[in-house]
Amino acid sequence: MTTTLPAPEPTMAAVITAYRTYLSGVLDTISSQALTLKASIGNNDLDAARTQWLATQLSWQRVGAAYGSFGKLGEAINGLPAGLPKGAADPAFTGLHRIEYGLFHGQGPAELVAITAALHDNVTSLHAELPTLDIAGMDMAIRSHEILEDSLRDNLSGHNDQGSGMALALTFADLDGTRVVLALMRTVVDGLHPGYTATVSATLDRLGTALNATKLDGTWPVWDTLPLPDRQTVTGAIGASLEALAYIPALFSTDDD
Amino acid sequence: MTDDTTNTTEPQSDRSQGRKHVNPGRRSFLLGAGSGIAATALAATAASAARSAPHSTTPAAQVLPAVPFHGANQAGVYRPAAQQRSACFASFRVLSANQAELKALLQTLTAQGATLAAGVKTDAPVRADDLPAIAGGPPSNSGVLGDDVPADSFTMTVGLSNTIFSNPAWGLSAKKPRGLTEMTVFPNDSPDPAWTGGDLLLQLCADSADTIHYALREITKATRGQLALTWKLNGFHSAPRPVGTPRNLFGYRDGIVNPAQDENRVWITKDSGQPDWAVGGTFMVVRVIRMLVEFWDRVGLGEQDGMIGRHRANGAPLGQTKETDAPDYANDPDGQNVPLDAHIRMANPRTTATDASRLLRRGYNYDLGVDLNGNMQAGLIFTCFQQNIQEQFEATQLRLVDEPMTDYVEPFGGGYFIALPGVPAAGSGFLGEGLFT
Repeated sequence: MTTTLPAPEPTMAAVITAYRTYLSGVLDTISSQALTLKASIGNNDLDAARTQWLATQLSWQRVGAAYGSFGKLGEAINGLPAGLPKGAADPAFTGLHRIEYGLFHGQGPAELVAITAALHDNVTSLHAELPTLDIAGMDMAIRSHEILEDSLRDNLSGHNDQGSGMALALTFADLDGTRVVLALMRTVVDGLHPGYTATVSATLDRLGTALNATKLDGTWPVWDTLPLPDRQTVTGAIGASLEALAYIPALFSTDDD
Repeated sequence: MTDDTTNTTEPQSDRSQGRKHVNPGRRSFLLGAGSGIAATALAATAASAARSAPHSTTPAAQVLPAVPFHGANQAGVYRPAAQQRSACFASFRVLSANQAELKALLQTLTAQGATLAAGVKTDAPVRADDLPAIAGGPPSNSGVLGDDVPADSFTMTVGLSNTIFSNPAWGLSAKKPRGLTEMTVFPNDSPDPAWTGGDLLLQLCADSADTIHYALREITKATRGQLALTWKLNGFHSAPRPVGTPRNLFGYRDGIVNPAQDENRVWITKDSGQPDWAVGGTFMVVRVIRMLVEFWDRVGLGEQDGMIGRHRANGAPLGQTKETDAPDYANDPDGQNVPLDAHIRMANPRTTATDASRLLRRGYNYDLGVDLNGNMQAGLIFTCFQQNIQEQFEATQLRLVDEPMTDYVEPFGGGYFIALPGVPAAGSGFLGEGLFT
């Protein structure tokens, strides 16, 4: 992912502009992935649909830094059943995790075609809003550490899992998303604290290695089927990354608590 | 400093990714260009106005002295003499990729243990090594104990298991202590992998439960990525009820007879047949033993006393009057007073032949939760220290196989460790330094 990024810019405003460009490309990808997914579900080819759902979900994870700016559209695209009166059966539960839920709970075209069509519509709407979305610089700084905090809190805990067990795949995509934000902010961060992105990147590299080492025959295993020592290698590495990332917001903060 | 975006509004807290993070609105951001001036240099700390002491809902904590971290031996074994009230036994997998990382980990643990033992005053100068990478980041202290961290008799005792020596990543096979095996499974044991083993054990003790919690949080934060917490169990050491040695959860005074330090049963010496680096250390056996307290409470007092070998009321051996009285087995060969299968008699028959197996017990009660059947999950974190696991702990434990009390207990966790030698003085090395020389 990071190879296609625009060159890091020296100001936060420029970082946000570059991030908007990156985001536009990712949303294009998600839009086209959603159409493919809709076609497979419509054809009742659910094996293909499960693979395509994962690809689409992973693209969304790589959006990374802007969730706080997406409002209700973000909720519609990537919401969860938690807090809804009827849980997973609640009509307000829509989007990628709703599709995951259906594909891993015996549902098919009857339940999922309309939801997938709505997903595509919502991604298209979000893309249209992108130029005017208010993405705050502070979002970039805070999300640089919160993306992987979410991986630990929501993915590796199992809270977000709607049946696929793909927490490792999502976490790897979250790592990509973190690398994107860090790459875009590199000049700014290193300007405030020389060498700090290299310090952080070393921990991210170790996390990437730990994640890849869990793969079985090139595919991600279901997270909670891994033996504890294998999980500890991942959670230890993500913990070390988080301790380093936690200082990035401070570079931009006058925390007077 | 320029402010390129001038966006200092409250961030939107509406997030589509699961639950909300704490709204960061109280952080005011300086979204500056890459000027060399750290934005945090502008941080203002509001001096808190002097206030009168507010009404408190609980008595003030006792101010307890610091237990010296430094010494020939680690603290938490014989030091302090009075066992602290609270403890945490935390077992970790070591994630260090190589020997250099393991060494750095032990250096970090040493620094943490020394700092926590001494306590921290917020206005004391901070060592350069302890300064965070970036000022103005998350607070250096979780605040659980307030800004000033009291010493609170804190001790940290570090133990290593046999896996530290068998894992080729660390290259320490030549340093392995004799007799440091995996924990033996005895006939009455029901080991649960979730509560067993680990590469490194921390025994954290202090007089307050919040100090223990604080310490574990500080230590895990400082070692993130190197130590993975595998199991942990908090324990409590009761006050004397009403006097004498504290009671365990069967209601009996426990730990009455322990060898004194000058009886030389605990510390590894040059004559112990161990590697040089281990001199000053001790073998540490931790056994997590569930006690079936509901069942126990349905047993008559006479039967209870007979299983233990002591009077519940005052801790005296059966047939004696005081806790400190020695049982007179020579004049009780048939077990008229203390049954032959009473716990204290089997554990320590007080014969010349068994004298060498005496060991130092320093256990803690635990109270954990509820089992599948609605019974309390409570018991004893049995902890003992000795020069030789096989000749002391295992010899004792083998005598206890099938003792009557086994019906009421379920040993299910723990491990064997070598507690490292002490660090003689500040600045004179680190825990386990001898492993690397």
